[in-house]
Amino acid sequence: MKRLFKLNFLIVPLLIASLFIPVASQRLNGNSTSKSSATSSLKLSLPLKDGSLRFAVIGDTGSGSSKQSQLGELMFQYRSIFPYEFVLMMGDNLYGSETPKDFEKKFSDPYKKILDSKVKFYATLGNHDLALQVNYANFNMNGKEYYRIKKGSVAFYSLNSNYMDQKQVKWLEDELAKDTSDWKVCFFHHPPYSSAKKHGSDDQLREVVEPIFIKYGVNVVLTGHDHVYERIKPQKGIYYFVSGAGGKLRTGDIESSSPLTEKSYDRDLHFMLFEVAGDQMYFQAISRTGETIDSGVIARTRK
Amino acid sequence: MKHKIGNGKKSACVLIVGSLVVIAFAVNSTNAQKTQNAALAPPVITSAADKAAIQTFESQVKAYVQLRNKVREDAPKLPKKGTPEQIQAYRTALEESLRKARGGAKRGDIFTPEISDYIRRTLKNEFQGKDRKELREIVFETELQGVVLRVNYPYAQSAELSEMPATLLAKLPQSTKELRYRFVGRYMLLVDRESNVIVDFMPEALP
Repeated sequence: MKRLFKLNFLIVPLLIASLFIPVASQRLNGNSTSKSSATSSLKLSLPLKDGSLRFAVIGDTGSGSSKQSQLGELMFQYRSIFPYEFVLMMGDNLYGSETPKDFEKKFSDPYKKILDSKVKFYATLGNHDLALQVNYANFNMNGKEYYRIKKGSVAFYSLNSNYMDQKQVKWLEDELAKDTSDWKVCFFHHPPYSSAKKHGSDDQLREVVEPIFIKYGVNVVLTGHDHVYERIKPQKGIYYFVSGAGGKLRTGDIESSSPLTEKSYDRDLHFMLFEVAGDQMYFQAISRTGETIDSGVIARTRK
Repeated sequence: MKHKIGNGKKSACVLIVGSLVVIAFAVNSTNAQKTQNAALAPPVITSAADKAAIQTFESQVKAYVQLRNKVREDAPKLPKKGTPEQIQAYRTALEESLRKARGGAKRGDIFTPEISDYIRRTLKNEFQGKDRKELREIVFETELQGVVLRVNYPYAQSAELSEMPATLLAKLPQSTKELRYRFVGRYMLLVDRESNVIVDFMPEALP
């Protein structure tokens, strides 16, 4: 009897714990789904909810390398199991010269299949991009260096972090002040928070934009510039991502002891997938080799 | 009657206290607003010589923009949703036409000695102190191989552009949307946004 009691003493807490562990794990990793046939190797950690908004994110793409094309092909394949509507680009869309041939080699060829599927790309300018990229039809910037687009319940703000002058700051404040969207997502090139050794956090930019993000309830900030993947621990209620390895990689660039990092990856190129359903934003980061390097869900708390 | 007076005094007191609370709140929120935007506050210009230098700079910039916009009228039209070929044709035409129209342009036409002196002093102030270490890193980390500085010729396409921190832009004389400040090492440039042509540059801008 005594022994049975001792056993119960061990088993009951284990049983209780086992009830909670799967829930916690699901919250962090989402529902992992694999598809059969041609796309059997693709692993999806997103819930594919009815009526959800789905989009992809790539950054620092425009190298024209074979690895960029391989990642583009993988992104295209993922569309068959996760039909994303559009792609956000984090800047450095074209490295080096910008002749018509460069536009082909560094953008329209690597993503040809995606473009042919009528998926729209929305770009932002990086420090390697000439200003006239804003007039390129496939970047959908409509001649503007900073702009807002609305998709479902989400407002996206593309900013020009190369040249954050007072005019742009005022525009951002004015637009955010009247924005009643459920989700507000800002995307631009330079990361206000980053644990990469090459560039790292852009304190100067953060000094200007962070108070605005806080004041007007921006939920998520997507950036590039550092050629790595990093999910930053929420900063003052805002979720920051660095997704700057869509075409260039800086292997081993993440400062491993950084207190900012929630999750990071600097061993291969990657892209990201997002799904917004009501008050949940699910995300998955995928490497060029098809490895899920991060996934999870963000609950909308800032309203 | 006394009661009435008493009530009146009470109302007045409530009104005064209420007003003080409102004023205190307003002052507080104004201060909060100021604190938030302090980094973007333009410098206060007190010297008459500096005021004159800035005025001359602004009128030179205005003259450039007028000339540029006239030249632009003759360039092929660039739609908001253009092709790479249209972008290249427009950029090349604008660059060549600008060079022709500004045939006699030379370094120092816009960055006169007076405004250069003002800018150098302004930048020196901004680059002082330990907290400005990051600012120096941002400006000097840019890889600038292949950048040749020549008035009326384009900034090399293959070179990256240094980020212009917002806090610094706020302190410089306000330019226009057609022109951009850029750093190349310690040099400061004025670059035409669309054609990428270097309109003027000044040496030893940064301390």
